[in-house]
Amino acid sequence: MKSRWAGLIIPVAIVVVLALMPTFVNNYWLRIATGALMWAGLACSWNMLGGYAGYINFGQSAFFGLGAYTTALLMGDPINLPFFVTIPAGIAVTAICAVVVGGPTLRLRGAYFAIATWAFAEALTQFANVMNFTGGIGGLNLPPFLNERFFYYTMVGAAVLTYLITWALFEHSRFGLKVKALRDHEAAAEAMGINTSLVKLQTFVLSAVTASVFGAIFAYWVTFINPKSVFGGDITDQMVVMVLLGGLGSLRGPAIGGVGLFVINRLIWMHWGDTAFYIAILGAAIVLVVLFLPDGIAGLFTRRSTKSGTVLDKAVGKLVGGGEGGRG
Amino acid sequence: MASTSSPQSGSAPENRASDAILAVRDLYRHFGGIKAANGVTLEVGRREIAGLIGPNGSGKSTLFSLVAGTVKPDSGQISFDGHEIAGMNAHRIARLGLARTFQIPAMFDNMTVTENLLAAAAQGHWHGAKERAAETLALLKLEPVAENRASDLSGGQQKLLEFGRVVMRQASLILLDEVTAGVHPNIRKIILEAIARLRERGISFLIIEHDMEMVRNVCDRIIVMDAGRVVTSGAFEDIVRNSEVMQTYLGRPQ
Ligand SMILES: Nc1ncnc2c1ncn2[C@@H]1O[C@H](COP(=O)(O)OP(=O)(O)OP(=O)(O)O)[C@@H](O)[C@H]1O
Ligand SMILES: [Mg+2]
Repeated sequence: MKSRWAGLIIPVAIVVVLALMPTFVNNYWLRIATGALMWAGLACSWNMLGGYAGYINFGQSAFFGLGAYTTALLMGDPINLPFFVTIPAGIAVTAICAVVVGGPTLRLRGAYFAIATWAFAEALTQFANVMNFTGGIGGLNLPPFLNERFFYYTMVGAAVLTYLITWALFEHSRFGLKVKALRDHEAAAEAMGINTSLVKLQTFVLSAVTASVFGAIFAYWVTFINPKSVFGGDITDQMVVMVLLGGLGSLRGPAIGGVGLFVINRLIWMHWGDTAFYIAILGAAIVLVVLFLPDGIAGLFTRRSTKSGTVLDKAVGKLVGGGEGGRG
Repeated sequence: MASTSSPQSGSAPENRASDAILAVRDLYRHFGGIKAANGVTLEVGRREIAGLIGPNGSGKSTLFSLVAGTVKPDSGQISFDGHEIAGMNAHRIARLGLARTFQIPAMFDNMTVTENLLAAAAQGHWHGAKERAAETLALLKLEPVAENRASDLSGGQQKLLEFGRVVMRQASLILLDEVTAGVHPNIRKIILEAIARLRERGISFLIIEHDMEMVRNVCDRIIVMDAGRVVTSGAFEDIVRNSEVMQTYLGRPQ
């Protein structure tokens, strides 16, 4: 009983801090907070499939970019739709693309899916580069709306919603049990009646759609997008590192990793005016996590063993094949 | 070597198909040059507990994987509870009421023992799953490790959890692959009692077992496999008296 209330203290404190943030920081820091929330949300979106289902997506930026471009195209001339109407449109476009990319490839070993998602993001980048309606390399402008509080609170809403959906769906429902079961042993999950292909696809669509919502908010926020800024592979790279560092397949890990790494990135930028150093930190972080912290930072606070078969092992196993198989 | 599976009762072959919950006909599957299933034909009756014995590598576990849809057959028919299931996806076969254990425990490593049990009920058997999981934990004496990760269990505990997961499913036919191997005699007794109770509820079993004592105690009928096919089947005493079968067994490292 007591611990239940204790468990509520931190979430309530976080909500209060998030709600009051604009009253005690200036616009500069409010922008950093907005960015941190976006990256926390994106890391959570990648973790839905990568962490809970064990399927590594190397093209998540494709869906971030689809959300961004859909919003930019629909808000710009000649369509001029209001911002919040463009979000469901981006979700629809993204869901269709995720089904087309994931439907055939999620049935296979994880490597096929990883390559397909990566290739899809690359193809979209090239497509946006050469097409007229996407503005080519020059990109698209959106109607400027210079209200930092609006974007901050919109990002809070999206990030908190993403977190709550993850909590409810992956940690507290039958669906989450099915997803984790197929991550840990696909053949055994199938033998229990779980349609693993379908559950993987549902998870992938949810993950992709979540990223697209952040893409939509991002586009309106920065008022200008181009293929590199929303489809770029470095966007996916960041999500992957944030999740690995925070804790693959954990609820809090990706949020911690997302906020932490983004704030570090901005601090480095402020002190050195350059983020080359940040890339070195990312590389070192990956090596350290893989070697010493398979459960990430979140794993430090939970009683988890590293005896065998960690979530990282499972995801790598799906990527390179081997592991379970149909024997025995 | 005779390849006939002789039905032990005198009923007409046409009728047997309808009272069998599982009927396998001429099932083939090879892995490279190995003919793991080389024309398997067998039946399991309703409410029957059939034992499947045979030397190492004779294709017993492969037969389970073929029936459960984990491995696809090259050819042959499998009829389960009136459905033709050969080549069907494993999850669809499972939803028709088939449950199986894996010889090498197929744990959901990063989930707790309780979550492993709940996951087994997540598809279609959810009502009352939490209570059934608690009962199953108590039955198999797994309560002390209920919140441990499955990968941290001992080998014997993983075997128990493997059994516990099929108990969580509401199946009409359960395939058990050496489920008591390496399990403490006291717990083994508990598993045998659980099997007897499930059979009273109308559940049929096909059980792979190397322990002849257990085979004698629980199985109504024994099916003997060798080199990917069924050699013979019948009552335990008849099988033991059959010298050819015992020959087959002598080749097995004890
Ligand atoms: N996935 C697979 N790939 C390659 N060969 C396989 C595979 N599964 C089974 N085999 C081979 O098929 C043969 C039958 O194996 P199976 O596991 O069915 O035997 P078994 O009767 O269960 O033996 P045991 O009593 O040792 O468990 C063996 O020679 C085995 O090596
Ligand atoms: Mg076997």
